Amino acid sequence: MIRVEELEKHFGALHVLKGVSLEVQKGEVLVIIGPSGSGKSTLLRCINLLIEPDSGRVFLDGTQVNRRDIRPEWVRQQVGMVFQSFNLFAHLTALQNVTLGPIRVLGTDPTTAGAQGRKLLARVGLADKADAYPAQLSGGQQQRVAIARALAMNPKAMLFDEPTSALDPEYIREVLDAMAALARDGMTMIVVTHEMGFASEVAKRILFMDAGRIIEEGSPEEIFHSPKQERTRMFVGKILR
Amino acid sequence: MPATFDEQRRSRVRIVDILLAILVTVGILAYILDVLALRWGLSTAYIGRSYPNYLKAAWISLYVTTIAYFIGMGIGFVLGWARSVRTLPLARVMAARRREAVAAADGGSPGAGLFLGTLLVYGIKYYVRRTADAYVAIIRGTPLFVQIVFVWSAVLVFYPRLDPLVQGLLAGVIALTANTGGYQSEIFRAGIQTVHSGQVEAGRAIGLSRWGAMRYIVLPQAVRLVIPPLTNEYIGLLKASSLLAVVGSVPELTTFGRSEAFQTFHIFEAFALVVGIYLLITVPVSKVVEWIERRYRIPGLGIQAPRTARV
Ligand SMILES: Nc1ncnc2c1ncn2[C@@H]1O[C@H](COP(=O)(O)OP(=O)(O)OP(=O)(O)O)[C@@H](O)[C@H]1O
Ligand SMILES: [Mg+2]
Repeated sequence: MIRVEELEKHFGALHVLKGVSLEVQKGEVLVIIGPSGSGKSTLLRCINLLIEPDSGRVFLDGTQVNRRDIRPEWVRQQVGMVFQSFNLFAHLTALQNVTLGPIRVLGTDPTTAGAQGRKLLARVGLADKADAYPAQLSGGQQQRVAIARALAMNPKAMLFDEPTSALDPEYIREVLDAMAALARDGMTMIVVTHEMGFASEVAKRILFMDAGRIIEEGSPEEIFHSPKQERTRMFVGKILR
Repeated sequence: MPATFDEQRRSRVRIVDILLAILVTVGILAYILDVLALRWGLSTAYIGRSYPNYLKAAWISLYVTTIAYFIGMGIGFVLGWARSVRTLPLARVMAARRREAVAAADGGSPGAGLFLGTLLVYGIKYYVRRTADAYVAIIRGTPLFVQIVFVWSAVLVFYPRLDPLVQGLLAGVIALTANTGGYQSEIFRAGIQTVHSGQVEAGRAIGLSRWGAMRYIVLPQAVRLVIPPLTNEYIGLLKASSLLAVVGSVPELTTFGRSEAFQTFHIFEAFALVVGIYLLITVPVSKVVEWIERRYRIPGLGIQAPRTARV
């Protein structure tokens, strides 16, 4: 479904991605963990081409998509993204947040988009918040609206960049539940998160990233309980504590 | 929503505030009227007779201001947008293109056209931005009065045969447009830059184009942020249009008042009318905009408390 080969990215003199390769099958959930600044966010942003990689190839369904003749907008429609800081459109209600993409990008007529949007909000448990503005929602509710907004584009895969790390503890559960439900429905997902419980439950594979490289890959069991690399062991030790 | 005790008390306080304000205003006006009309013998007959002419003059002020304001808004928006975009050093852009070309080399040869194209697009962007910066620096760094005199002189020299009224209007509209364009670009730049970058990123992430993100996400938020400063700019520009008095051939409000004062010697009546009419425009304009602002206010976005307008 998604394949990445030898991705390189510099920010000025900073070498952030040093030849990252990975592959995710259809319906698979891949979790990425790693210390701050290791390039996890940059990797996700390269996959949906929010950032142009310096070199390397990104494949979607077997087609290389980081090419001049493919519009990055088209790629982003296929791959939804959920951000750490929600980034809901502040001037739009929850429902309008969800329907903006379908109406303006896909050209869906507003009535259909509205009906679909309400269904999606109901799916993340927010049927009654359709007309609330982001500032009137809790963090957990905002993040669930953000998930619905990404789903509204009917994406083939979803990227989550630390979706719960900006949340108060009492709201983390509801967001993770919504993501787990999505995984059960067969969504292909790449999730950057340090929620070990979620990772163990939902993911088949975990990647450990450090300093722009993938250091280790394995099942949750392997990564969390018997990591092979010293660096993985140290990092996992820190987040387990 | 049931009014709480606190809300009721607050609205009572508000009513008292308003009554007090009205009382003070009426008192001051009565005092001024008393001084002017009774002690100095303000001629109500003159005022009653000639106020329609003043209103006509005020229309000219309004036309000139409004035309300049809206053309200036177009200029200001484009310049403000150009100046809000981050530009990278050319060397870095070219290096990135080169890396990309190498990466794509297994797919085909990197043509020189790619580099030329980048150079061209980048060069245009860079110089548009630099020019915009210089333009704003000149407009904001020199007196409007000088700008008006300069444009007027230029019009006189280059179009000496035009009707003086047309010369004056041309000079006035050009100078005011250029001026407000520079100031509005600052307003738009600030408005656009204040919208959080995460908003644009989220828009791009659902597949909006650069322009789509601007149109549906940045602008609707920026507009709410720039309404108060843009209102101030309109009011400021209306007041600035009085500087056209130096041109003399445009019978706008100040020019007309001055010539009436000198010709009829009803100096106080003339300027009472001029001042009164300016206030009659500026105060309601800021009130109406305040109302619009409240009407379209969104929870958690932009100014939450009532603003104070510079009148
Ligand atoms: N747009 C940018 N311009 C310059 N440097 C950047 C940019 N984005 C990220 N970086 C730098 O690249 C490095 C990797 O950033 P990235 O956000 O990918 O890390 P991360 O693994 O997601 O970290 P975190 O866990 O803190 O989110 C950091 O040192 C960061 O400062
Ligand atoms: Mg990150």
